[in-house]
Amino acid sequence: MFEITDATGGYGKTRIIRNVSMKVNTGEVVALLGRNGVGKSTLLKYIMGLIDVFGGQVSLDGAPLPASTARRARAGLGYVPQGRYVFPRLTVTENIAAAAIGCGLDRKEAVERALSDFPILYEKAEALAGSLSGGQQQILAIARALATRPRVLMLDEPSEGVQPSIVDEIAGILMAMKDEATLTIIIAEQNLDFCLSLAERAYVMAGGTIAREVTRDELVGDRELLHDLLGV
Amino acid sequence: MELDYLATVLLSSLSSASVLLIATVGLAIVFGLMGVINLAHGEFIMFGAYVALFATRSGVPFPLAVVLASVVTALFGAIVERAIIRHLYGRILDTLLATWGLSLVLYQSAVLIFGTVTPGVGMPQSNIEIGNYTLSTYLLFLILVAVVLIGLLYWLLTRTGYGIVARAAIQDPETAATMGIESGRINTATFALGSGLAGFAGAILLPAFPATPSMGFAFVIKAFLAVVAAGPVTLSGTVAAGGVLGSIASMTASFYTTVMGDVVFFIATITILRIFPLGISARWRLKL
Repeated sequence: MFEITDATGGYGKTRIIRNVSMKVNTGEVVALLGRNGVGKSTLLKYIMGLIDVFGGQVSLDGAPLPASTARRARAGLGYVPQGRYVFPRLTVTENIAAAAIGCGLDRKEAVERALSDFPILYEKAEALAGSLSGGQQQILAIARALATRPRVLMLDEPSEGVQPSIVDEIAGILMAMKDEATLTIIIAEQNLDFCLSLAERAYVMAGGTIAREVTRDELVGDRELLHDLLGV
Repeated sequence: MELDYLATVLLSSLSSASVLLIATVGLAIVFGLMGVINLAHGEFIMFGAYVALFATRSGVPFPLAVVLASVVTALFGAIVERAIIRHLYGRILDTLLATWGLSLVLYQSAVLIFGTVTPGVGMPQSNIEIGNYTLSTYLLFLILVAVVLIGLLYWLLTRTGYGIVARAAIQDPETAATMGIESGRINTATFALGSGLAGFAGAILLPAFPATPSMGFAFVIKAFLAVVAAGPVTLSGTVAAGGVLGSIASMTASFYTTVMGDVVFFIATITILRIFPLGISARWRLKL
């Protein structure tokens, strides 16, 4: 079980998220929904230890996670940031290897596994990551996060700026991971169709806090909710 | 023009370019790769030279003294990174002032401790003859040193786990941290590597360039210009820029005067930066 309790954090003295609590079961896929600027990305950064923490706790299987970002990654948190942030002057192979080395894993094995799981990267293996298209970079960012062998994978707007065929491919990849039922996935997204194809439950954020917890069926069937909370 | 003269000038130019490269690779790591403007780089070279000088005077064989100087300067660099540099990442002007202050402290300390003139290491000098001309064997040996040094550094930074992680942590420390990479430790190690290379330069160049408190000045300005002209592909760019600039300056000095060689070096650097404002490697699709 992955749990966030009373998370309050932001930048400098500005609080962006307030008293956010959520629980995600092992192997579950949960969506984080909400309009622009409600704090979805900030919550994921809070979980990774990338912003100032004013209160709250993040725990995995009952054990509180350390404050340091690097230690959280080694404890089992994987993160795909909004905008990909691949290392542009490292090759595809090196991007994946860096992630494996960072978590103390065998880099050759990690690269072989990633290139096998993501055939689209195979022919670009020795290309600089900065030379890839946006969609290819997104897939590399996911492959790189998975190379850390995370227990919880967090994706921030994975479909943003990516062509539809690649979005479908990413959805397929995440669906396959979902089927393995060992990896917990949290997706922050504005693309509702993409989210609903994967998650059965969602937390809807508004004003830096969790406004509502809904199931996929509730969300699909409530047009007023969709309009009020998501603007769709 | 006689063939033996031409061969001597070419080899001499290659040797000068190699000396420049040996003195520059440390800066290529610290400034080119990490983006830290270390104005004390010249004093790190001087530091390595004095360590090697005193090691050889204490009876340590010269090759071991070079290793010792590299390690001691690397450790000194690690302390400097922890004490000063790590608090100033992203603050270019503050880094510039802090390292300038450090350079003044190191220079004045060397003057106070060693005086302005120090005897050399007293290694036996040998020359090779090319027709009617002679060249120092040690200066030719430095060509081989530069080639091996660049090759080893390229291997270290592209083939080893440390190298891959170091380049990742330098490019984007925050993202690197999300993958378990301790960027702070890696940056300390990389700054120490750059410092150790400066110490290596001071030590290996000692038989040709005696240790003096101001010896760093002779290298550091040209080293900075070579790294700036190199552009974002740090190592390959530095080899190209340093090689070309060093050779041109040396050839000019051979035909005219040393001062004219320096003038041509600066004119060539300005010309390169006018044509390639971001450095010659700005459009190269190479990883290092």
